[in-house]
Amino acid sequence: MMEKQIHLWAFLQGIGFFPSGWMHERARPEGVFSMDYYARVAKLAEQGCFDAIVFGDQLQSRGAGGHTPERMAMPTLDPVSLLTAMAAVTDHVGLVATVSTSYNTPEMLAERFGAMERISGGRAGWNIVTTAHPATAPNFGEDDLPPKDERYRRAKEVVAKACELWSAMDREGPMLPQGRPVLVQAGQSPDGRDFAARTAEAIFCPAANIEAGIDFRNDLRSRVADVGRNPDGVRIMPGLSCVLGGSEEEARATHAAILDLADDALAIEYLSESLGCDLTAFDPLGMIPVETILDQTILPRADIARAITPAQEKGTPLGAFAANFMRHPRGHNVFLGTPEQMADMMIEWRDAGACDGFTLQPSYMPGGLEDFVEQVVPILQKRGRLRTEYPGTTLRETLGLSAREAVTA
Amino acid sequence: MTRPFILSASIAEATFAVPETAAPILRAAEAAGLDLLVMGRSGTRPFDAQVLLAWAAPMTSRLGLVATVPASNAHPFHVARALSAIDFLSAGRTGWSVIPEGAEDGMAEDMVGAARALWDGWGSDTLILDKASGRYLDAAKVHASNYEGPFFKVAGPVNAMRPPLGHPLLVVDGDDPIAISDADLALIGEHGAAPAATKRLLKVSPEADVASLLARFEAGEIDGLHFTLTDAAAQLPEIGARFASLVKDRANEAGDLRRRLGLPIPQTASNQPGGAVIPENA
Repeated sequence: MMEKQIHLWAFLQGIGFFPSGWMHERARPEGVFSMDYYARVAKLAEQGCFDAIVFGDQLQSRGAGGHTPERMAMPTLDPVSLLTAMAAVTDHVGLVATVSTSYNTPEMLAERFGAMERISGGRAGWNIVTTAHPATAPNFGEDDLPPKDERYRRAKEVVAKACELWSAMDREGPMLPQGRPVLVQAGQSPDGRDFAARTAEAIFCPAANIEAGIDFRNDLRSRVADVGRNPDGVRIMPGLSCVLGGSEEEARATHAAILDLADDALAIEYLSESLGCDLTAFDPLGMIPVETILDQTILPRADIARAITPAQEKGTPLGAFAANFMRHPRGHNVFLGTPEQMADMMIEWRDAGACDGFTLQPSYMPGGLEDFVEQVVPILQKRGRLRTEYPGTTLRETLGLSAREAVTA
Repeated sequence: MTRPFILSASIAEATFAVPETAAPILRAAEAAGLDLLVMGRSGTRPFDAQVLLAWAAPMTSRLGLVATVPASNAHPFHVARALSAIDFLSAGRTGWSVIPEGAEDGMAEDMVGAARALWDGWGSDTLILDKASGRYLDAAKVHASNYEGPFFKVAGPVNAMRPPLGHPLLVVDGDDPIAISDADLALIGEHGAAPAATKRLLKVSPEADVASLLARFEAGEIDGLHFTLTDAAAQLPEIGARFASLVKDRANEAGDLRRRLGLPIPQTASNQPGGAVIPENA
């Protein structure tokens, strides 16, 4: 029997996983405004036999309290456009675009993905998200976001309606090669997991360690079975960042050097964005301005209080808190070590049922992706865990999913 | 600079959304010397033109790529971002043609106003990308647009850079005009309405008489021609054979589409000297 295959996605939004990554000597922050860059990284992902390239999205500017950050990269160009352009320069790699159900009508969604699906020859995927950031609403003429349960209710309706529209398109025009895009989800909350269980064919999630991966995958698979779907028809793809080196020590030193590119000002901008309150005017050596934060935050106050109160009680200065906050990524696994060790780790996770594969989040771009494709991919292929060629042309074939299921959203 | 003779065509064949059909058509359009290919038409919009524009960007090197955007099934925030991305991907070769298509009166004009305000929220020289100082951009050059029209209200700033063209070219169709006083290009019929625009392209068939059209161009009556394609694969080589001599001397011209076609950024742009500048070698 063939050993368990590892699926690979490449999360390529922006210029890398670390906020300081754009300053790395091998980072090309100017590249994300040019087709040459997207052609190069798309071909690289295809050379590495990745199932798909994924782009995240947000419908508001980075920053907090109306203050646009100066030190954080902000290349959030439209993901559908970038991925569709990448389709023109590749033949196999799948293209998963994040598009919100909160501020798109089913008609807009169905048209955009319908066109993307046809022109890419069946390589489109839709990462279905609801919009949670309050600063988005004024970009669409509204004062506030709808409440969370309403956003999920709307998400279900929008997905169901979009699927109806794709069925109609499939009957009328040139055929949609996959019938509809592959449905992808990234929800973490119980609401999100339920939604994913009913709808998703692939799930992107954080898992900091192997145990968290096993727990998440078991939970999702049982939820999928509970709604009468086959758990083997869903791919679970936790995020994975990495810094590679010739030895573990070298990788650790390189990791530290990337983090050290960030100064206090960048860390405070990053913290400001995460807390929804502009802290750039405060002294990094001073105390965390808890009252100001709780007064001014545009995010749920209870969540924010939980994030900052322990550090305040310990007397941690603002700059130190911000630096520490930025160094601990959002629940994703960051692997530091040699390419051999990384391949071992990936195989161990896969065999333990912690995932079906990984969503690689390069630490900086394009160097981080180049290193992985050149150094880790050949090891996985040699061990028979990663394909050496694509099985077909559509994303659904690449993911090893059978013909599309009915959506029960 | 001599005044350029502009050649434009629109395509609305449903099969253009399939790569095997679209790729040869794009090659034929470039070979025919077209300056603009308008994807989609008012009343016939068989595909999402903005998506096809993104795909066409790396498939072409000279052709201006124009998306037909319906005011009734789009939002300025999404449109501004998508066209900005495509303008970067095509190195300044993007345009849009906003059509009412069932929308209420004024909605198309409002779409144009809102998207322009979003593009103008970013200064041309906002990006710094200086690794040594750690400054990615100059925040003082990013502004909320706070646009408020009869249909669309958009706060901004939009999370997309100002396009290289400043504003993508705005094309209006005389058969389905919108009330915009500073469009870049108007597609006009022999007897129909002639909307206000910097340049005017006369709608003609591929069989039209070349000499008389050239005379009208030289007299300043028109700035070029527009062909409404119904069978692109057959018509584009014919257009190339009959009209390419008019644009031959510009075949290898470099530069963005505004520069090549002699189109300034509209006066309504809010004090922006030009399109986005990406610092080299960060």
